[in-house]
Amino acid sequence: MNLSLTVLSDQFLLNFSYLWLIVIATTIGIIIGAMPGFGSANTIIMLLPFTLAVDVEVAMIFMVSLFVASHMGGGITSILLNIPGNGGSAATCLDGYPMAKKGLGQQALVLSFVASTVGGMVTALMSIFLLPYIARLAFYMHSVEMVVILLFGITLIASVASDNMLKGLIAGFLGLLIGAIGADSIYSTPRGTFGFIELYDGVPLIAVLIGVFAISEALIMMESSSVLSETGMQMMKQAGWKETWEGVVMSFQRTWHMIWTGIIGLIIGIVPGAGASIAAFVAYQQSRLYSKTPEEYGKGIPEGVIAPESANNGCASGDLIPLLVIGVPGGTTAAVMLIVMTYHGVQLGPRLFIQNPGLGYGVFITMLIAYAVMLFTTLPLTRWVSKLVMIPTPVLAPIIIAFTLVGAFAPRGYMFDLWLTLLFGAIGYVCRKTGFNVVALLIGVILGPMLEANVMRALRISGNDPWVFFSSPVGNILWAALAISLAIPSMVQWRRNRAAARIAAA
Amino acid sequence: MSITLDRRQVLLAGAGVLVAMPSLITPKTASAAGEFPSRTMQVLIPTGEGGGVDQAARAFNRVWSKYLGANFEYSYFPGASGQVGYEVFVAKREPDAYNILFGNIGPEMIMYATQKVKYKYPEDFVYIGSMDVDDSVIWVPGNSRFKTIGDMVEEGKKREITLSTSRLPHPSTIGALALAEATGMKVRMIPYGGGGPARSAAITGEVDGCATFLSSSLGLGEQARFLTVFNDTNRAPELTNNAPPVNQALGTKIPQMSGQRAIAIHAKAVEAYPDRVKKLSETFKQVFADPEYKTVAEKAGTPWEFIQYGDAAACQESAKEFVELAERFRPLLSASKG
Repeated sequence: MNLSLTVLSDQFLLNFSYLWLIVIATTIGIIIGAMPGFGSANTIIMLLPFTLAVDVEVAMIFMVSLFVASHMGGGITSILLNIPGNGGSAATCLDGYPMAKKGLGQQALVLSFVASTVGGMVTALMSIFLLPYIARLAFYMHSVEMVVILLFGITLIASVASDNMLKGLIAGFLGLLIGAIGADSIYSTPRGTFGFIELYDGVPLIAVLIGVFAISEALIMMESSSVLSETGMQMMKQAGWKETWEGVVMSFQRTWHMIWTGIIGLIIGIVPGAGASIAAFVAYQQSRLYSKTPEEYGKGIPEGVIAPESANNGCASGDLIPLLVIGVPGGTTAAVMLIVMTYHGVQLGPRLFIQNPGLGYGVFITMLIAYAVMLFTTLPLTRWVSKLVMIPTPVLAPIIIAFTLVGAFAPRGYMFDLWLTLLFGAIGYVCRKTGFNVVALLIGVILGPMLEANVMRALRISGNDPWVFFSSPVGNILWAALAISLAIPSMVQWRRNRAAARIAAA
Repeated sequence: MSITLDRRQVLLAGAGVLVAMPSLITPKTASAAGEFPSRTMQVLIPTGEGGGVDQAARAFNRVWSKYLGANFEYSYFPGASGQVGYEVFVAKREPDAYNILFGNIGPEMIMYATQKVKYKYPEDFVYIGSMDVDDSVIWVPGNSRFKTIGDMVEEGKKREITLSTSRLPHPSTIGALALAEATGMKVRMIPYGGGGPARSAAITGEVDGCATFLSSSLGLGEQARFLTVFNDTNRAPELTNNAPPVNQALGTKIPQMSGQRAIAIHAKAVEAYPDRVKKLSETFKQVFADPEYKTVAEKAGTPWEFIQYGDAAACQESAKEFVELAERFRPLLSASKG
């Protein structure tokens, strides 16, 4: 791969000359990322005539900027309204929203933006300098390994449900059952669709996200006059630039945390078909696992915002690597980029880095510049955007319901999806009122279908031999790591209990 | 490298953004009220955005819009091997000839024959024209020890060969199964739910090889070694390391396994609006004589050798053949073993 200083400097200059385009694309990306139901793939498709008309380098700058910005934008509504803009930012709700309710919404937004920037930039830099090695990871991450990685995410159900394990597990299993609705991944046999063609492709994630989070949250909001507690309201009224700076300091006090969770995102993003939602949940689970204060997770801890956001944006780099290095798109947005690059006659795969290294490495240079630009455009906004939570709930709740229902309808244009969203809204409301954890339910819905598809595929490749799950060295290492990660919390608890008993005895 | 946005590109880009919002503008080429088409054509694609059909449809429609005098708006309904898209098209789209479906006859008629669908062919929809013929192939990673299809067959007699495919109801799946039946090799098809993941699985070594359509694998370069083509001749030898046709290499009698991207409309539209259908068919055919189509088709990744016009009768014949083939291999393609 022909990486040279000349190539990199040329790309930096090129990207700087299109700074105006990056500003436009990242602004669009942040807005659509924050809106449930809208994503980078359908936006880029709508703007295909533009990307086909301009030079391929310009088209890539535009698409990549918009793509990474949509990853960053998803966290805004997760934090302020408990409404994830997309699957990748669902895990951000876990600690982002509790922070906002405490009047720390501004700091949480800054944490989210800084973590997204650091996660995105570190993984983009790694991609530039270690591309051949990182690309090789895809050769070791097959169905078996993905099963174990998904199990990491699924074990989070037990963690988030720790307040009431039984109800949490019930919610998680209900989520897995809902995730199993739709045509099976091998024979396309419909299951649990009740004859509705709208469910053949599975329960649409956006309907679950909006229903369980947005609608039920809006209903809960209406029971009180404000999202914020009294002290939270006081804090928000007094908030100024100091809080933004405080968020920056909080972020950089956790620099290593941002880096390693971003790398988790990068690794998971490289696997075709895996996505930001897995990356974010796995990063959150790992962050909680190695924390000295795991009991603080879910109550509004900065690491709980940093981990999923950094991984979500690290995943953006990983997502594009299979497209560039082997010529196979890893996700929907990458598939749309493939259309544009093919149209412009770009040869993807290993030849790209020989014939046109500028374009290959230029993607990651664009990422670096787009993230830097976004940091400057988003941080000043946090002071005002965070005031959103001060809107009285009788005004805020109907707006949320109206806007998110548009988002539920937009991706597929089915009236059915609106009813489904309302149904999930009712389920979410009942769950919240009765103490069933909605995040556990969501984890089941998101990760269940991926787990099933990978399990079925691994079994089919092996001729239905269950030992296939222990047949690869990388898989076995991951199994061992999973076993350790499951054992650590119990061991830590045991030691704490023993220490407490000693103190009590003394 | 120097890249600039000149005035023409800026204008094109601006026009592009307008084209991206077809509902906000009236096509300048639209004819007077009452003439067809007077509004935007609605294209339903039963596979994902960015896939082979999407690329081919967009390339084709770019030229077709000149002759038809209308813009095209796209919607995607992937799922259940294309079944979702067809169900939506038949049940939820107006049969007014403004709604058309861009699909692939081979995979989607096999799906029709092997899955429980609610629509009927040709009672509910008909294909009125096809635009290409894309042959099925088997390829292996560039570093595979299989140098020829003969090597794979020999190994397949000792152990089961795994081949990735985008979905089970697919001509390349039937091709591989027919090859196994004819030679005695054992093969296991692994569906990945999309062409991209299927190709990736083969390149990264999760499976022995990939059975797919040729055009989708042409950009892989040295990462892929083509072993055989399921047709009587290899129409793109220079792009496929001169892989031999399967019957020529192994002395088998396996029928041609190709996909044909085609447009379909509601059967009711054919009855209710024969003039509209006539205009669609005639303008569809005109595209193939336009040199611009060669340029855009190749840019979309389809070699010009694969571009081939097929009329409604040819489409119907092809659909019938695939239904018959699917019936033959039904136990291996569906969960139902009956």
